[in-house]
Amino acid sequence: METSAKKRLLVAWVVVVAITVIYLWIDRSADDRGVLVSSVAVTVAAIGLALVKFRIILGEFMDVRHAPRALRRITDLLVVVIAMALLSAYFVGRAVA
Amino acid sequence: MSLGASLRTDPKRELWFAWYSTVAFYSLYSVVFFVLTRTQPPGRPWLTPEQTVAWFADRHWGLLVGFALIFVLGGFSATSISLITYSIRRMSVSRAYAYSYLILYAIAAIPGFLFICVAMTVGAMRPERDPALLHWLYDFGFLSFSGTMGVFLVGSLIWMAAILLDKNGVFPRWFGYLNLCNALTEVVIAPSWIFQRGVLAWNGVIAWWIDVAVFGMYTVVFIYLLRSLIQRDDLGTGPVPAPVITG
Amino acid sequence: MTETERVPGEGDMWFFVVFESLVFTSYFCVYLYDRAQHEHAFLKAQSALNLPLGIVETILLLTSSWAIARCVQEVRAARYRSAQRFVLATVGLGVAFFGCKLAEWVRLIGDGHTFTSSEFMQHFFFLTGMHAIHLLIGFVVLGVIRYQLADPQHRSHQTIETCSTYWHTVDLFWVLIFALLYIVR
Repeated sequence: METSAKKRLLVAWVVVVAITVIYLWIDRSADDRGVLVSSVAVTVAAIGLALVKFRIILGEFMDVRHAPRALRRITDLLVVVIAMALLSAYFVGRAVA
Repeated sequence: MSLGASLRTDPKRELWFAWYSTVAFYSLYSVVFFVLTRTQPPGRPWLTPEQTVAWFADRHWGLLVGFALIFVLGGFSATSISLITYSIRRMSVSRAYAYSYLILYAIAAIPGFLFICVAMTVGAMRPERDPALLHWLYDFGFLSFSGTMGVFLVGSLIWMAAILLDKNGVFPRWFGYLNLCNALTEVVIAPSWIFQRGVLAWNGVIAWWIDVAVFGMYTVVFIYLLRSLIQRDDLGTGPVPAPVITG
Repeated sequence: MTETERVPGEGDMWFFVVFESLVFTSYFCVYLYDRAQHEHAFLKAQSALNLPLGIVETILLLTSSWAIARCVQEVRAARYRSAQRFVLATVGLGVAFFGCKLAEWVRLIGDGHTFTSSEFMQHFFFLTGMHAIHLLIGFVVLGVIRYQLADPQHRSHQTIETCSTYWHTVDLFWVLIFALLYIVR
């Protein structure tokens, strides 16, 4: 039981670090020979991956996984609210620009 | 029971007097700044000296009447500070917290709120002066008001520490954490000294609108919680009784 | 899974997590909106950032989060000595993160990218600066954990979990800030 909790935490760490390293690849493939290029796909992917990490930190590191239903719902709702707020700010900003 | 009757028979009448004065003061404050003087939301930081002259002329009577009210009644800001100090004294923590809070907020009121009243009244009373001087008063007024929010930071942290250490249950602990959130937004206004345009200027989306939203919520919450404290208070020194639910 | 459900740390601390997340989200929204208005200027200023350094910083903070989560596991198993070591590791990783941050600020300012040099840098220094303040408060919070662990009289599992929740929150904010400042195009 206890070793499995330890192992699970380690796996969570490996996953969040791996996602961080994926950014390096996204970043490399997004640019045109070192010059940064605007890209909706990269922006949406960056926000999406960050929220996946956000959710893993909440669930695994902060142990929301074992929390009562109410707290799990509230934190899930928080992730959704952040996602919607960030994407709408970005897309509304683009539409206005 | 009518208010008059409760003032005569209720042993908590002094506390209620302070609480109603707090509500009255914050209402007056909002009316003066947002309606009468229209100094909130703040003027644009990039006005030229000539535009500043027009700004003062545009709200001449509002500035005079509004800030006259503050000069007469502004002392009522002491009621909210003293009620909060009372709340800290009611906790199981050292009196040093209450005294630090009291002294800090009493001093902080000068740059945080009286300077703007003085500067804007001078501007309104001396419209014939050099536009450069009026421009200086305009900058001084808004920068003293917005830029010195940091003086409230430590006060908020002291209240937070007292609430989190308290064992008398004077306030819910989440309010202790809300004090931390409020203290952190006091930092956000500091860049208004540097920027005359953009989101961090004194009228910027981050430095003003988001800050005021947080501060507004914080103020409404603490006034409500002070009311609930007075209702529950047994005027003793031990834990404050839990709320009694009456049908 | 037959474990009983329980709130990690003090329930009221979660108010802070949610509220402060929403405050930060509002800063992020302003940044993203501004960014969309001046995309080229933002991209140009953004190219001054050093992504590998940002990734190292992120991994340092993620690892510190893991370490404090391990500390809480050790506390639950009443292995306080080992828990102490994990707190020290967390502090060390936090200090390393802060060191990288300082080095990054110094390098940028040295190259002429300051708080006032461009709108992107204004948001960059503002967001990383606000985050750094949360991080510095985090060191005080880690100090509380150490104090609690050192003294059996003051040892409260709930307080230790509450403090670790704060530290994770600093990590949560960084994960978003990193993606928004370094990766978003």
